[in-house]
Amino acid sequence: MSTTTKDKRSAARMLGRLVRRAETGSFLGMVVVYIFFAALGGRVFLGAPGFSSWLNTAAEVGIVALAVGLLIIAGELDLSVGSVIPASSLTVAIVSSHYGAPEIIGILAGLVVGLMVGFVNGFLVTRTSIPSLIVTIGTMFGVMGLTLGFTVLIAGSTGVFIVPDPVTKALLGQFVGGMFQVTMFWWAAFIVIVFYLLHVSPYGNWIYALGGDRESARNAGIPTRKLTIGLFMLSGFAAAFVGVGQVLTYQSAQVLTGQAFIFNSIMCVVIGGVLLTGGAGSVIGIVLGTLTFSIVNQGIFFSGLDPNIGSVIIGALLLIAVLSNDSFRKTALSFAAKKAP
Amino acid sequence: MNEFSHFLRRPEAATIISLAAVIVFYVIFGGVDLGKLFGAASWVNFAANLGIVAIPVGLLMISGELDISIGAMIPAGSMTTAILSGYYGYPIAIGMLGALSVGILVGFVNGILTVRTTVPSLIITLGSLVAMQGIILSASVLLTGNASVPLTAPDWAKFAFGQLIGGSHQVIIIWWLILTAIFAFVLHRTSYGNWIFAMGGDRDSARNLGIPTSKVTIILFILSASAASFVGMCQAILFNSAQVSGGMNFIFNAIVSVVVGGVLLTGGFGSVIGIFFGTLTFAIVNQGIYFTQIDRNWSNLIIGAVLLIAVGMNETFREKALSYVPKKMKA
Amino acid sequence: MNLTKILLGAGTAALVAGTAMAADVFVIGGKPDDPFWSIVKRGAEDAGIVAESQGGSVTWLGPQNYDNLGVDAAELIRQAIDQGADAVVGPNWVPEAMDPAFQAVVDAGIPLVIYNAGGIEAADRLGAMNYVGSNDYKGGVAAGEYLGNAGNLKGVCINTLPGAANIEAFCNGFIEGITNVGGEGSVLPLPATSFGSATAVAQAVRAHLLQNPDIDAVFTIGNVDSNSAVSGIAQAGKTGQVKVCGMNFDESILNNIKNGSQACAIDQQGYHQGYLAVSILNGFVNYGLTVPTREILTGPGVIDASTVDATLAGVKAGTR
Repeated sequence: MSTTTKDKRSAARMLGRLVRRAETGSFLGMVVVYIFFAALGGRVFLGAPGFSSWLNTAAEVGIVALAVGLLIIAGELDLSVGSVIPASSLTVAIVSSHYGAPEIIGILAGLVVGLMVGFVNGFLVTRTSIPSLIVTIGTMFGVMGLTLGFTVLIAGSTGVFIVPDPVTKALLGQFVGGMFQVTMFWWAAFIVIVFYLLHVSPYGNWIYALGGDRESARNAGIPTRKLTIGLFMLSGFAAAFVGVGQVLTYQSAQVLTGQAFIFNSIMCVVIGGVLLTGGAGSVIGIVLGTLTFSIVNQGIFFSGLDPNIGSVIIGALLLIAVLSNDSFRKTALSFAAKKAP
Repeated sequence: MNEFSHFLRRPEAATIISLAAVIVFYVIFGGVDLGKLFGAASWVNFAANLGIVAIPVGLLMISGELDISIGAMIPAGSMTTAILSGYYGYPIAIGMLGALSVGILVGFVNGILTVRTTVPSLIITLGSLVAMQGIILSASVLLTGNASVPLTAPDWAKFAFGQLIGGSHQVIIIWWLILTAIFAFVLHRTSYGNWIFAMGGDRDSARNLGIPTSKVTIILFILSASAASFVGMCQAILFNSAQVSGGMNFIFNAIVSVVVGGVLLTGGFGSVIGIFFGTLTFAIVNQGIYFTQIDRNWSNLIIGAVLLIAVGMNETFREKALSYVPKKMKA
Repeated sequence: MNLTKILLGAGTAALVAGTAMAADVFVIGGKPDDPFWSIVKRGAEDAGIVAESQGGSVTWLGPQNYDNLGVDAAELIRQAIDQGADAVVGPNWVPEAMDPAFQAVVDAGIPLVIYNAGGIEAADRLGAMNYVGSNDYKGGVAAGEYLGNAGNLKGVCINTLPGAANIEAFCNGFIEGITNVGGEGSVLPLPATSFGSATAVAQAVRAHLLQNPDIDAVFTIGNVDSNSAVSGIAQAGKTGQVKVCGMNFDESILNNIKNGSQACAIDQQGYHQGYLAVSILNGFVNYGLTVPTREILTGPGVIDASTVDATLAGVKAGTR
């Protein structure tokens, strides 16, 4: 921050404004966990291997978390991402490897699967009064069943193997410098696009309005239905994109993957200061939350702590991160935040 | 006719109808033999184990909170019982008390954190879920050197908590029925019940009305965590062993049962009888698939579809039955 | 209930008049989307083609997940009895939880074959006809010995599902195996937040290797994890130094074995487990055929660069 100004009061005011931003809490949470693991993990954690380790994990969760975060801001949830990831990896592998179609077709098909699931989610959420949590649990099971059924029917086993050609692999499944997964750059692209969507374009205000009060959003002339369906399609697309990246990186697609992304993405979003009730949150916050989450998750392995108690530490640190975030916001905001269910 | 429309307005009405619809669906499309289905214990056992957890989770949801730490509390209950009474050889009563205390303790922590901070309870219990998983695993590995622990329970404990009635129906079914009755009484006949509804409707005005919201919230969290560890305890006694992993599926299953049972995800609306039938519906959706001719590879698809249809009917029904248009809820 | 059973039995008997008795075999197994179990299921169903041609059937009962393995499987066994099974095939994963259920099968006079887990001891204890399968623990031992004999003596078992009894058996077996040949082993349990995420597992393997540079052998408990481990080792810059062996395999793993990035895979020959167990019971129920050989072992076999080509053909057919 700028301290060049000699006027202390204006510096204090700036500090106050900074503190009041939701991201500041998330940022401090991240710094705390980073220092914690840096102290334990030493040079390996601080060096490039450490960085690439948590950035690689962050990139994959992060892409999903951005889209899920937008949905949460708009007052909806999407659990189906967990089943879209294997669905799209298997689509790529089946179309391009089993049937031998060009890879670009396989990739497009994989992404279309994500968009379709998103559309179904959005359609069901907007046309019925079923809460999105339940709709997406239903589609999650549905997509899981379809993926398994069709994979066994077509390929005869639950895993499909693929040898990507070098160009596709370089674009979507490469390790830069042997350790930085190329997904990281895609994540960066996603961040820029979603940032533009939420904070620059007029859609952003619509999304906030949707999460704040849907009825008045509709009365204000916002096409709430289209917007909701669009957001669900975005999260389907993001999950499918991660699935495509995974199949090209690991050269095989399995039915049994992706479940971890459901809770992980929600955790990232909420650590990043997005209100679970919708209407508040920011892209920078989500990114910081994702980074915090991956530092905690990967830091464990560098720390020399007994991995058996890894889960305990992850749970405790996540709570601490959220709590510090929260007390921060509480002191910063002059009004009492509404309690979320 | 008047009474009929009165019935239709009740939160559980739609649930009972969708339960019937699920059975009809399976009979028509799955070739299910009703005699076999009703004679079978599997889905009743499934429902009882789930139902004991679903009711307090449902009460929490009515009061506007969520508890997903139950996923770790089931193995916590069974492992505590097995480690204390199986590995260390203490009397089974100590093991059972231990399991329930763990439940009470975790529930208390969840409740305190929820009441004292503004962090949503979903996230708090997500944190305690992950932490409890780690604690159970490390405790089990450090204390016993193993991730599954055998347990031999004395006859009286087997009789009360781990009996197979008629060789197939778990005694936990009776506990489920008793607990359903108690909770139904508390929620619908006592002032505590009114408090819970009031809190789910509008917490601030509930507090202003003099309802001890913090206390009630903490008690509800203690109930849900200890209900989960009770189920774990019964499983350990029945199956003579406990293992660390277990119970994660209870999270989704309990939430889905509660919502199928007509409880509003946003709180303020629902009934214990509804949750009871919601659990039964979910159990039949889940276990009924084994009685059909459908290839098991498609079972998740069927479960997802039937679930959506059941909830969908439920909702349409409620909309039609209630004279006002319900407010669209946010997840 | 009894009446329905009799009526149903009469109906079935009328349908298949000509056969003495058609065997409705119920097979209790793993999740249908589990790569290993889908092959067992395939074996059981292929044997079911014979059973069906003789008027019988094969029904697969598998849990939705492995969270509560012993308990859920015991429930499935009881479900098989409920549904009027003529013969039951089941794995004895968690004896404490499942023995009473198997006992109920035997008490009901239903012929039983234990497969996949438990060994002949379980079959004898429960009064089952036979045991078909390999042994989780021995599978781990085989991997430990293979890697140890190859000169990689400091091993780690990557446990992505800590707490599940069968997975613990893999890891404990691995430690035993590598210790047998003079090495040492440890277990790296991963938190639940990384299960099913290839990247998280790969990064965990990599971090662990960087933090413990003397480790030169990695054992993984399943297909997905093997691929992740290979990637994690490559990212740690230790390809060639650290050898990987994993439980089970698929096409991509066999290709990795072929090109040298994975040392070996432990084969439990799941197809044979399902196929043989069902065939034994079908023959017995229909025609009173018995197999006097007790304890039919289907594994563990070790697949390495020398045996990979024959295995590949089977994988393409969905039978290995």
